[in-house]
Amino acid sequence: MLLSRPNILRSLGRTVAPCRSLHNTAWLWCFRSAVSLDKIYPESDLDLTKPQQIPKTKGHNFSGYVPMDKVQVTYSRSSGPGGQNVNKINTKVDLRFHLASAEWLSPELKEKLATKHKTSITSDGFLVIRSDKTRSQQLNLAEAMDKLRHLIYTAAFVPPPPAVEDIERARRRLPSL
Amino acid sequence: MASQGTEKALALLRRLPRVSLGNLKPNPGAVKSARRGRGIYGGKTHGAGSKGSGQRQNFMRLGFETGNTPFYLRFPYQNYYKGHHMRLSYAPLCMGKLQRMIDTSRLRTDVPVDITQLSATQLFSINPMEKMGGIMLKDEGIDHFQATLNLEVQWATEAVITSVERNGGTITVAYYDPISLQAALNPMAFFKRGVAIPRRMLPPQNLIDYYSDPKNRGYLADPTEVARERFVLAQKYGYELPDIRSSPNQEMLLERKDPRQIFYGLQPGWVVNLEDKVILKPTDPELLEHYAS
Repeated sequence: MLLSRPNILRSLGRTVAPCRSLHNTAWLWCFRSAVSLDKIYPESDLDLTKPQQIPKTKGHNFSGYVPMDKVQVTYSRSSGPGGQNVNKINTKVDLRFHLASAEWLSPELKEKLATKHKTSITSDGFLVIRSDKTRSQQLNLAEAMDKLRHLIYTAAFVPPPPAVEDIERARRRLPSL
Repeated sequence: MASQGTEKALALLRRLPRVSLGNLKPNPGAVKSARRGRGIYGGKTHGAGSKGSGQRQNFMRLGFETGNTPFYLRFPYQNYYKGHHMRLSYAPLCMGKLQRMIDTSRLRTDVPVDITQLSATQLFSINPMEKMGGIMLKDEGIDHFQATLNLEVQWATEAVITSVERNGGTITVAYYDPISLQAALNPMAFFKRGVAIPRRMLPPQNLIDYYSDPKNRGYLADPTEVARERFVLAQKYGYELPDIRSSPNQEMLLERKDPRQIFYGLQPGWVVNLEDKVILKPTDPELLEHYAS
């Protein structure tokens, strides 16, 4: 049972000290023991709703961040066995976005994706990823996100230039013309 | 009116002198004399019985069963029993069932949902004495879960955390030691006992890492790190993390218990009197220090 807020104030009012505000609204009088969070983490601001810095993508360095409002996700029924469940539940996930107009990717990455993964791009220019691996829509979407990130990272990968020793070894191996 | 026996007892209390060490004695047969038997009734065998190892003071070792394999040697050591006394089990609750409980108004969502609220639905049998730790959430029905809750359970996996957070709720995993769990499962029965609310103990060694990890949303983890993990999980599972700050029930969603607290709004050390509807609080500084430690 939870007492309403005025009752809490009356009953806890004088006995305990106010706690550091655990969130940005008006602070509550609450009980603090020797192992409360503000004692375990004295330097932290203990804010569960702290807004996070969105990492930036620059050049070939993909940050890993995919803005979900810029990609379109649609659900449909999966294939394969499964009886009534597979016939009725929309577990298949289709994740797509227009590659050329995606601002969250750098131009270099977009170029690389267009060349390396052109089989995943439709004639309209949409990069499409599908997943119906699991029985759950939520997990299939996670798999689709993972696939998308994998596509981008493999496209972004620039192999390092060959070492001097490797060039020398290749030169010796090949017959001189 | 009280029974005759009670009336007699109360009359005795009224007229007899105050109980003190000077007017107490043990019940007959409670204290056995350490001396050997003497005289006509304590003589002959002097309390040692007849013949055998007992009389000859050559006692059999503890557990010896006169030759057959004793009980304590009959069962071999098995690796699967190692540490079994420390292993906890949890009552499973799948997300589909949780959604059904909310839809059928069996569970309220306007207050933080913890083990007390879930136990009040009377749909679970959790016995702390049988090494049960509480409730764990299972993955089944994560796609059908739509409620916004402040949830506190004893074990939760990543998929479950996702399904709660994507709907704008918060989830925490918290440890309850057996005594605190017994109190939390049935608060009314606990208050009727008239004992002070105990401090909730911290998790044992094998569980402290789990409850301190922000990835598991542990109650001992740093909330700032939990905020980061919420963001990372939203990116992993492909949803926009709902902003709790702009939610109407922000306060309810962010309400948390102190690690030593069992009930929301009640502190360790308080005695809840249901009859007279009062709460008795300790005033002695030593007690206050103990209950806040």
